[in-house]
Amino acid sequence: MNTRSTMLASTAALGLLAGTALVGCSKATESSDTATNDTSTADVTYTIAVIAKSNSNPPFLAAKTGAFDAGKRLSSELEGVTVQVNWQTPPQEDAQLQAQYVEQLVASGIDGIAISVSDANTLNGVLRDAVDKGVVVVTFDSDAPESGRMAYYGVDDKEAGRELMRQLAPMLDGNGTVAVLTGNPAASNLSARVEGVVEEADNFEGVNIKQVYSFMPETATEAVAKMQQVQIANPEINGWALVGGWPLYTDNALDGIHENAKVVSMDPLPLPIAYAQKGQVQVLVGQPYYGWGERSVEMIVDKLHFDKSPESELVFAQFDIVTSDNADEYLTKWEAWLKTD
Amino acid sequence: MSKSAADTQQNSSHLGEKKSLIGSLFAHQESGLVLVIILMMAMLTGYGMWSPIEQKTPIHLDDGATIVLLDSQGKTHENLARTQIAGYRVTLDGEITEYSSETIERYDSSSRTLFEVHAANRFLNKANLVQIAKNASFFAIMAVGMTGVIILAGIDLSVGSIYGLSAIVGAMAMNSLGTDASLLVSIPVGIGVCVVVGAMCGLFNGAMTVGFNVHPFVITLGMMATLRGLTVFLAQYFYDKQSIGNLPSTFQTGFIKAEFMGVYPVPIVFMILVTIGGWFVLSRTVFGRRIMAIGGNETAARYAGIPVGRVKILVYTITGALAGLSAAIYIGYLGSAETNAGNAYELQVIAATVIGGASLMGGRGTALGAVLGAIIIQLINNAMVILNVDPSVNQIVMGAAIVLAVIIDQTKQKLARRNA
Repeated sequence: MNTRSTMLASTAALGLLAGTALVGCSKATESSDTATNDTSTADVTYTIAVIAKSNSNPPFLAAKTGAFDAGKRLSSELEGVTVQVNWQTPPQEDAQLQAQYVEQLVASGIDGIAISVSDANTLNGVLRDAVDKGVVVVTFDSDAPESGRMAYYGVDDKEAGRELMRQLAPMLDGNGTVAVLTGNPAASNLSARVEGVVEEADNFEGVNIKQVYSFMPETATEAVAKMQQVQIANPEINGWALVGGWPLYTDNALDGIHENAKVVSMDPLPLPIAYAQKGQVQVLVGQPYYGWGERSVEMIVDKLHFDKSPESELVFAQFDIVTSDNADEYLTKWEAWLKTD
Repeated sequence: MSKSAADTQQNSSHLGEKKSLIGSLFAHQESGLVLVIILMMAMLTGYGMWSPIEQKTPIHLDDGATIVLLDSQGKTHENLARTQIAGYRVTLDGEITEYSSETIERYDSSSRTLFEVHAANRFLNKANLVQIAKNASFFAIMAVGMTGVIILAGIDLSVGSIYGLSAIVGAMAMNSLGTDASLLVSIPVGIGVCVVVGAMCGLFNGAMTVGFNVHPFVITLGMMATLRGLTVFLAQYFYDKQSIGNLPSTFQTGFIKAEFMGVYPVPIVFMILVTIGGWFVLSRTVFGRRIMAIGGNETAARYAGIPVGRVKILVYTITGALAGLSAAIYIGYLGSAETNAGNAYELQVIAATVIGGASLMGGRGTALGAVLGAIIIQLINNAMVILNVDPSVNQIVMGAAIVLAVIIDQTKQKLARRNA
């Protein structure tokens, strides 16, 4: 019986410890996350969940900062309103877990959800249920058009591919052999970007696409290995269009490449910007990382508070063009976006 | 014997029965887990009372109805900020209905819907409780199989990948049926394909482990990578996509996601059935006794004439089949399968089993314990959402729970040895 008592007491202690830790953490999080106007008495509180794809990617951390900043700003701008932002993002990409979060958030009375959809097929049903129950849903970065969401905010992926080629082609002086690097060839957003690059190349005389090279899994190491192998086997390549920035998340990824080829890439994250500063990457095409969170929260509050929807379901953002000239300035933005307070 | 003496004896006998009832209640391995669940639910219910939610019920306006917004002076407006709205006036065929802003949360002009609100406990509400049990069911079904493996002192790191592959192959099969396939076709195909694929993977795990006498850690680690690669390859090769949808609606809303009183309880029914099956097999059959015997002392079991290899292969096959069944429920519930499905789920499944009281040294574990372990994990997940805790903390809590469960298990073993 002693053994049993010890077991019971220990197990109960485990449960209580976990529960107490959670409540403790919750209070700490709430005090920092709740964006309240100190001088006004809140008549209404809007609770908005932000669900990104993964919890450690800099673009999504920038979106998180954007969402919290928007919550604070709107709370002070709108009289009698408190906007509380609730960050619920899986540790790594997991569409099923995103679906579970959506269902749990709806059951816990959430007012709005901003989500970067990991897999539209998986999320369509639960998002539709959420919309039917009065939750305002906005997608960012990756869309789920059949979910009944109010709006999508982000870039047009095909247009992003076109922009890469528009930036690269003039640097090749009418004599270009271009390699395109993509990750998972089945990923719809990457396919659209590749399509944009290839289509836009037709508009530039003397510019030819050598081949579209894909690699799996989508890691920096795999990407670097692929680029190096391709460049050695095809020394005539004098232009690279990277539809994702994977190889640039390592140091010295372009050794043996930048001497022979111009490189343009998506995603001016802090590490890739170092390549622009060194002159090894000529142009980086950026998405509205901070805006993913900021605009999504703004649109949801517009709907909840003023019953106002955006004019179009698809709200496309402008691209940020980063070169060696403005790389330092863009890095300063990242410092603000990745702040931890 | 006098009457009073007989009464006293009868009373003490009742007391003895009561004591033995309570004693036998706490004698069960799962009683500690039940206590944890009750404590956690009590704490979350308390929090839910302190911080209630407003549940919304949509009121769709009829086509001919018109609506105006009323401010605090009773003036009508077409648009107003929500904090200035005092009420809503709906007119239909000359009949006027007014709603107060205290009962109506907001009006959505896009869908012409008023959302009526009523307060509810943030935790203790029907939708949330069913969510927790439903989310637990995916892991609990796999954890019942994993319990058998762990009782054998084995491990299966490939359950997440088996889940992913079964889901993709099952989705491919059902996609080929078309969205209009009948219930009689979609259910056997959906469940059958997933379970057979899972069972084949499990059979391979068991056969390789027994045939080459290699530790299952190595075999299932290899299978984890191989099956994941195969999952991605199949989806790309045949569909050129990351996920496969357009499954028969009869398998989704007609079966796995069938609505009953506003919730979707079918995955929970599967979990209960698998738990009962697991309990019966492990505690009421010769096969179950053999699993326990092998886990307790494999050499002794071999000398006792137990066909160790055959039992092990069968246990791994059943574990694979249950991963396949869980995958079938997943695709039926969410309506698609994606190549990343089940990634890293082995951690949660093993965690549920260990928290449920299974000993990694073998010889001990119960199906009910594994299911309760999965429910505890989902309660923690639910608490994260309800309490608005950063999801990163989830992994810390989960890891700590596993370590603590093992420490408690070891302490219990030591005390048992000392008492003996």
